[in-house]
Amino acid sequence: MLAPYRRDVNTVFQNYALFPHMNAAENVAYGLRQDGVPAVERKKRVRDALDMVEMLSFADRKPGQLSGGQQQRVALARALVKRPSVLLLDEPLGALDRKLRQQMQVELKLLQSQLGTTFIFVTHDQEEALAMSDSIAVMRHGRIEQLGVPTELYDNPATAFVAGFIGTQNFIPGYRLGDSLAMRSERGVVFEASRAVRGLKYEAHVLGAVRPENVLLAAREPPTRNRLTAKIAANVMLGDTMEFVLVLPDGRELLSRMPRRDVDILPEGAEVWAHWQSNAFTLFPFEDLESKQGKPWSN
Amino acid sequence: MAWPALVWWTVFFIVPLFWIVLYSFGSRPGAEAPGPVALETLSFDNYRQALSEIFFRVFQITMRTAGLGTILCALIGFPVAYAIAMHVPPRWRSILVFLLIVPYWTSFLLRTFAWRIILAPQGTLSEVLQAIGILGRPLLILDTNAAVQLGIVYNYLPVMILPIYVALERIDTSLIKASMDLGAGPLQTFLQVTLPLAAPGLFGGLVLTFILAAGDYVVPTILGGTKGLMVGNLIATQILASQNLPLGSAMAVMLIGLLAGVLILVALLLFVLQRLLKLVRGAPL
Repeated sequence: MLAPYRRDVNTVFQNYALFPHMNAAENVAYGLRQDGVPAVERKKRVRDALDMVEMLSFADRKPGQLSGGQQQRVALARALVKRPSVLLLDEPLGALDRKLRQQMQVELKLLQSQLGTTFIFVTHDQEEALAMSDSIAVMRHGRIEQLGVPTELYDNPATAFVAGFIGTQNFIPGYRLGDSLAMRSERGVVFEASRAVRGLKYEAHVLGAVRPENVLLAAREPPTRNRLTAKIAANVMLGDTMEFVLVLPDGRELLSRMPRRDVDILPEGAEVWAHWQSNAFTLFPFEDLESKQGKPWSN
Repeated sequence: MAWPALVWWTVFFIVPLFWIVLYSFGSRPGAEAPGPVALETLSFDNYRQALSEIFFRVFQITMRTAGLGTILCALIGFPVAYAIAMHVPPRWRSILVFLLIVPYWTSFLLRTFAWRIILAPQGTLSEVLQAIGILGRPLLILDTNAAVQLGIVYNYLPVMILPIYVALERIDTSLIKASMDLGAGPLQTFLQVTLPLAAPGLFGGLVLTFILAAGDYVVPTILGGTKGLMVGNLIATQILASQNLPLGSAMAVMLIGLLAGVLILVALLLFVLQRLLKLVRGAPL
């Protein structure tokens, strides 16, 4: 195996890992010095790299005199100045506040398309992954669970884990009805799905999944097959959307999300019908998501 | 809110130092006079007396012994500190550091005397060395400068190791990974990242060890005999044996001044070296 320092990959570390005894320019120059890049070219490349991340005016500051976002930029310049064929970013935005993070997401995306370098961006933030990636690999216990473009992962997740990890999901455990696209929940309610993961066995133990944005609320019993009575436990204002936390008769929770303009705030304790179309319901082989990883699907 | 430190500093450092300096200008009191020093007439007589050839010869030996001892301590201590800080899992580190300090629960005198037994011409070490053929005759190291050197390295090693260890232990390991990621090999990473970041600890250890070693008089008294004199012995002899506190004080003040001079010289040298290194490496921009 090739030693790390001989690979054509550079990394932006989680905590930036800038050398505290060197100023921004020296940090950026470090990698070029190791390669023996001649001084004239080195200075030009350091200047260009700092300019690219708009940190040229901070070139002589030590990392301790820079804000988190500025350190982030220097770390980016330090890694990119070596013109690696792959740039690895290890949760680089984790320490930044939300606004700065969104700003950096856009900048990183722009930078990537300008440079054409492959960026491998490691993140726990699924929204970040969806927003920034051309292609996402969902990892679980060090293995790739599914690799695909964001829409494919979101619309056709291969496993319940991926379904829950990308976006939010409501999971209903139960058993498949024969080899049909329907399931019976543990309380005996039958739900119809339009999709089941390939290889699902006859009468298999399954998790049915429906996204909150597909769970609709109605005051009167709807004609849809997939329906449940529920009680409103909480209204959560999310800006452009409303999230309703519903409690089912068996005590389970169900989330429903709707655009603000389509709904009013419903009083807590109100009895409603929650329903969804069968084409928004998918069957996955059962897995105990909660015990393994906490709740990967909750934000 | 620095006044507690200021009070401590004043009471335990400034005031005693002031007295020593004052005494160094006094003279030996007459037989009936009270107190250790007569301060009626102040003069430079003690300094004139102290500025002898012997004092400078002993001072030279002291600098050599302390300097070499400090360098040896650093050469032995740095790898030890590095191994504990970088290659030992965190839960074992404090145990190892504790083990380093354990011998210091025994008296300094006792530990130094113990070396007399080890180094004696008829001692175990001597016999083992002769038995395996390294030495053709008994080990004749006791009561020489070499024994003093050894005693000093032994006694001050932890003073060197601890500050270096603290500095190394604080280094974020991701900096080392970052250095490797940017193309530096293990040696370059050590020279450009680990060593500069450990420098404050290393300098702390060097200065502390050097000062303590240069002022030591117990080790040369016990292990050096008549051949292994150090400045500390001269001062102690004046103050304790000759009852000449003023002359001893003058020697002590000279020792402090010369030590400060040596340290300033070394600091200047390091500063110039650093500048030169920067010049050679060239500006990053």
